[in-house]
Amino acid sequence: MQDAIEAIADPRRRRILELVRAEELPAGAIAAQFGDVTRPAISQHLRVLREAGLLAERRDGVRRLYRARAEGLEGVREFLDQFWDERLADLRREAEREERSKRRDRGRDN
Amino acid sequence: MTEAVTTEPIVKELHIDASPETVFAFFTEPEKLTRWLAVEATLDPRPGGVCHQTHQDHDGTRYEMRGEYVELVPPSRVVFTWGFVGTAVPPGSSTIEVTLRPEGDGTHLTFVHRDLPAERDEHDKGWDEVLGRLLTAVAGGNPDAG
Repeated sequence: MQDAIEAIADPRRRRILELVRAEELPAGAIAAQFGDVTRPAISQHLRVLREAGLLAERRDGVRRLYRARAEGLEGVREFLDQFWDERLADLRREAEREERSKRRDRGRDN
Repeated sequence: MTEAVTTEPIVKELHIDASPETVFAFFTEPEKLTRWLAVEATLDPRPGGVCHQTHQDHDGTRYEMRGEYVELVPPSRVVFTWGFVGTAVPPGSSTIEVTLRPEGDGTHLTFVHRDLPAERDEHDKGWDEVLGRLLTAVAGGNPDAG
């Protein structure tokens, strides 16, 4: 899931997902939207998105067509859900440790 | 394809064997917040005060969380905004609400992270914003606290 998060950290890759969220597009049409980015760089971005599960690739003859995969985003939400489970488990552990320490201190004072 | 994206907040509930006062401090004191959530923190726990956190993921990449406290009712409630610098969405795009109530000798904690990925109606605002928000929410990664 870390892959998906890193994939969407790049503004160009978010732009690519935006382009292909509603319609399937060939790589050339995607690249044409980026005047300042080389075609190999776009290919690299497409690869990162695909490997992160955020982009579906389909071959149509010699063309490769791309569209956004919502399932990939669902995975990101799952990641986030798990992220908070882990963090809150750490919070519980640390708060309970703190409480035990406070109680020990109070015990010493009495 | 948009059905899979949701605005439903993430909600967590848990019991902690510590008083609400003890737990509350873990949201307002830097030396305590860095024991479970961030690697560095600058906190000014009053409405409008900064809630800045540096998070670090597994490969050492750092993310700057720039939030603000919205509401503080010691020791029962703390609300702060949540957002990351360098994303398409400015800091402050999502909100975390924590409610603490006594339960036995401990605390019942209710955690809500709202304003997460958009529902279908919101897609008109732009996928970039949706993704930005999502990133905002998750970019903290794992601070390796555990």
